[in-house]
Amino acid sequence: MPELSWRHHALIQALLSRGPLIEDDFHAIFSGITGKDPGAHRQQFDDYLLKINKELSYVHFELRGCRNQYDGKVYYGVVNNVSDEQSKLGTKYTVPQLAFYKGIIEAIVQDVSAQGHISDIEALNIRLENQVLTGTESESQGVPPAVPAAFKNFSISQKEKTLDELVKDRWLSSTPDGKIRLGVRSFLDLRSWFHNNYVPSCDVCNEAGVKAELCRNEGCTTRIHLYCLKKKFSQKRVERVCPGCGTQWQHSSIADAAIEEEDEPNRPNQRRQPPPPAAAAAATRKRLRSCKIEDEEENNGASSSQTCVPVSSTDFRRITRKSARLR
Amino acid sequence: MASSREDLSQFDISQEEKDKLVAEVIRYVLFKTHQNSGCPIKRDELTQIITKNYRQRALPAFVIHAAREKLSTIFGYEMKELQRSRPSSANQGRASQQIGSTTGIVGQLPADVYRKYVEDVNTAHLTGFTFVIISIVYLAGGKIAEDGLWHHMRRMGLYENEENHPVLGNIKQALEALVQQRYLQKDKANGHEGNTLFYELAERALDETINNKIKEYISQIVKNDGASPDID
Repeated sequence: MPELSWRHHALIQALLSRGPLIEDDFHAIFSGITGKDPGAHRQQFDDYLLKINKELSYVHFELRGCRNQYDGKVYYGVVNNVSDEQSKLGTKYTVPQLAFYKGIIEAIVQDVSAQGHISDIEALNIRLENQVLTGTESESQGVPPAVPAAFKNFSISQKEKTLDELVKDRWLSSTPDGKIRLGVRSFLDLRSWFHNNYVPSCDVCNEAGVKAELCRNEGCTTRIHLYCLKKKFSQKRVERVCPGCGTQWQHSSIADAAIEEEDEPNRPNQRRQPPPPAAAAAATRKRLRSCKIEDEEENNGASSSQTCVPVSSTDFRRITRKSARLR
Repeated sequence: MASSREDLSQFDISQEEKDKLVAEVIRYVLFKTHQNSGCPIKRDELTQIITKNYRQRALPAFVIHAAREKLSTIFGYEMKELQRSRPSSANQGRASQQIGSTTGIVGQLPADVYRKYVEDVNTAHLTGFTFVIISIVYLAGGKIAEDGLWHHMRRMGLYENEENHPVLGNIKQALEALVQQRYLQKDKANGHEGNTLFYELAERALDETINNKIKEYISQIVKNDGASPDID
């Protein structure tokens, strides 16, 4: 059986030792180790990962990439696929801390507006008692299980400390204005949990739509990640309508994204243009943003078929939806 | 693969069962090492994984050996067995329970590759601290009195009462972590002033590869310094 070389080992160890790495960094490491840039040698990159995963499957690990749904960037990490006695050891967090984390995750994914966050105040008000009921032990006998003292006595300051630790370890992330979001590790680790708990998925990529755009039709449950939307509607012949109900998709979300990306610090050369009054510039920015220029011609035609006008974001932000069905 | 089938037949377990056990051992080693921040694991803990469900006498050793091989081929990690030595001042009650062996995992990658791609810069300060403390004890002959060690640490700005050092946090805890990770061990000895606490190099620092590296680095530093080291 062809064995893994030191190069494969270095990739695995880098992720294990440093935690999840953003795509650029991981690609840089790959280039450094193999001498091949994944951008130019995509097939070889994929082959390497395939080979690694064949071996990792022996211990039920997987090297996978996933998107941070807040910025659309891809991160790579080694994740554990099976929950067993050994993996239960692999945490430095105590039982109440884990219950707290679980409560936060549930609150975030249950956000009906699919903004993918809760405020820090809400986080500190999470009650651990609710976590006891979702354990498997409670399913027998119909007697409500006793709430452990540690859960009842989990103080605000303990919650604050735990929050800080979770953010530091990248299970959660926090924004400057006090919002708590899922961290990269959670996206990597909770993929199957999202599916098992019926978190609504994105219509385009089928991954959980934790932070996603919603169809403006109240009765329609379709949600699509912003980055999936951009990709989908960037194709010339695709109509900008909801794939679920046919309602015209709110253009503002695409235009907003265009303006949002304007502020991105990472790509200064392409972003010098001031926010435009007309649609043509929006199309230009979209063209510059796409990393794979699949179809050169569409970019010329895009400006004419567009009717999108940048609108203020507040008009179309969804506040409440009754249709979100979550356990 | 014929030989492994023979080996298995002597144990009367299937390939799948054996693979399952090996995977459990590997996972245990990886998760536990993460949980206790690199402290070595007692061999008993590993044998327990096997003896929990299987009675065959030689099976644990076989599985652990297979796990060691897999850790190497899949991850490039070396699982080293560290012989735990009896503390020099034999404290009879404790010593008999402590004798045994512990295992720790180290990487097999060339040092430059490790440094460039694998090393977590966020924990580099701990490695530096570990190296410095081990060097002090080494230069003191492998054993140093608690007071002596703190004397040297104070010279570097590390104080016993410091709980919020900007890099190391609680200094006492940082030192204690070295004991837990089996770089150092603590001993009491009856000195003329009563009981004194001594720090000695423990199995992880005495392991040949690491020991040689330490000697190498120290001699480099001493050579570069020019002036003779000041050991009081």
